[in-house]
Amino acid sequence: MKIKTIVISFIIILLFAFASVDKSLFSIPKNWPKPVYNFKKNQLTDSKILLGRVLFYDPILSRNNTISCANCHSQYTAFTHLDHALSHGIDDRIGTRNSLALMNLAWHQSFMWDGAINHLDMQALAPISNHDEMDENIKHVTEKLQASQIYPLLYFNAFSDSTITGENTLKAISQFMLTLVSANSKYDKVKRMEDSFTKQEENGYRLFKQNCASCHTEPLFTNREFENNGLPIDSLLNDTGRKRITQNNLDYLKFKVPTLRNIEFSNPYMHDGRFKRIYEVINHYTNIQSSKTLSPKLQKKIILTSNEKVDLTAFLLTLTDKEFLFNPKFGFPKEVLLTSKK
Amino acid sequence: MKKPIIFILLFILKWNGIIAQVNVCFNPMFDGSKLVLNKQYFIANSTDSIQIEKFKFYVTNIELFNNDQLLFKEKNSFHLIDAADSTTFNLMINLEPNINFNQIKFNIGIDSITNYAGAMGGDLDPTKGMYWTWQNGYINFKIEGKSNLSIAKSNNFVFHLGGYQNTFSTLQTIQLPVQYLSVFKINMAIDKWINEIDLTKQNHIMSPSKESVILSNKLSTIFSVSK
Repeated sequence: MKIKTIVISFIIILLFAFASVDKSLFSIPKNWPKPVYNFKKNQLTDSKILLGRVLFYDPILSRNNTISCANCHSQYTAFTHLDHALSHGIDDRIGTRNSLALMNLAWHQSFMWDGAINHLDMQALAPISNHDEMDENIKHVTEKLQASQIYPLLYFNAFSDSTITGENTLKAISQFMLTLVSANSKYDKVKRMEDSFTKQEENGYRLFKQNCASCHTEPLFTNREFENNGLPIDSLLNDTGRKRITQNNLDYLKFKVPTLRNIEFSNPYMHDGRFKRIYEVINHYTNIQSSKTLSPKLQKKIILTSNEKVDLTAFLLTLTDKEFLFNPKFGFPKEVLLTSKK
Repeated sequence: MKKPIIFILLFILKWNGIIAQVNVCFNPMFDGSKLVLNKQYFIANSTDSIQIEKFKFYVTNIELFNNDQLLFKEKNSFHLIDAADSTTFNLMINLEPNINFNQIKFNIGIDSITNYAGAMGGDLDPTKGMYWTWQNGYINFKIEGKSNLSIAKSNNFVFHLGGYQNTFSTLQTIQLPVQYLSVFKINMAIDKWINEIDLTKQNHIMSPSKESVILSNKLSTIFSVSK
């Protein structure tokens, strides 16, 4: 009798231990901080992640069913918009910012270049509703999904309910985005003692730690803060950054520090995509002009020789994670979207 | 005359442990009677008129007090009230028997913690049209309509009040004395609030701002309780 009780309680404890985060679906890379996202309120499951992935790749989210999330967030470019300084959306309308690369989102409290969004779940609402992006509204999206042939079943599999709500739609999209973890670059392998840097990369890493790491902090390669990195304002776009949200002059021209992971593939760079190449970015940082809200971390001039710039670039290329960029689990769900008529 | 009867009745009901449900009815009013959407109301002593086309707001965190003593706090207390749907006006509160309250307290709007909590369902589902998307957060109070005083296109006015971050917090706490126990109305004199706005100068608010805070603060005076 006693043994039975012990066994049962042991099983229950095990179940609870696994219930919080299923390790096969999401695990925290070694030596990384704790994620910010509260998985308890949106527990990952295979069927919810699949639903989120299908939604991510389905243009049904846009007004005229032409634009999906993947249009501006394509996997092979670290989920950003290749070759477009300013991302374009529906009817070829051009937005005002360069779409951000999507990865390691579970570690972020705020989203967008200006931190306009305070929770991953609510992020998708912004592009769905934006006039220049998908130009839709979430209520109409749920109605279209409800009327489709595939979605009521996908929602039933995921939530045991075929009634499609905004809440479940957003939570499913979050689930897919949460799985986009990039932690298998050469840099990561070196850190895990599975690989080693070349001399050039090693020197680049040293220069990186000296000059860049205070904002692009390891292991996420962003301190997740808002900083003015010294870019002069584009008078046509007149984008004041974080100030637009807080209406505080101290936030003038501050933008969220983006990650440097997969930088090789996530060009163009900066909030307005003004730089196409990594060397342009590095040259910018060695020629900073002072201004009122310039990040204190950039007050001290960065001086790099041309050889050092090459070494720094060599290190930045070790942040490329091919397993992430070509992982079929993150790709277009052809098994669902091509085999069915909507 | 009425009071003793109520007390006796109350005593019997309490004794039997029956009083367990309170029906709070929100009652949006204009010019002293129930608000009718799309009706042309004339502004006193003038030829100016006003029509309300949309009127929606959140009532949250309902609490009942006896003087200063908290007797009841509604769990998961989020209610979207929409003038276009009278079924949303009635809030049923289930109480344990023997709760004798004389104050009701509630918020107009969504608190900051909830604004940070991610996707939620029911009345908080973003499909309800009470959510800002470019800068996320709930709209606490929404009123739209027409008036010849507004110089905007089609004489429209649109006030979407919200904002939860420090200086732009618009959440309003309302506390009202109540001398009824099972059924009562909470009246809202919308005309009183609209009269505070100079529609010739101000015809829209659609983001967290100083103006949103100022207009939200003026909401507290329009509530009253009746049978």
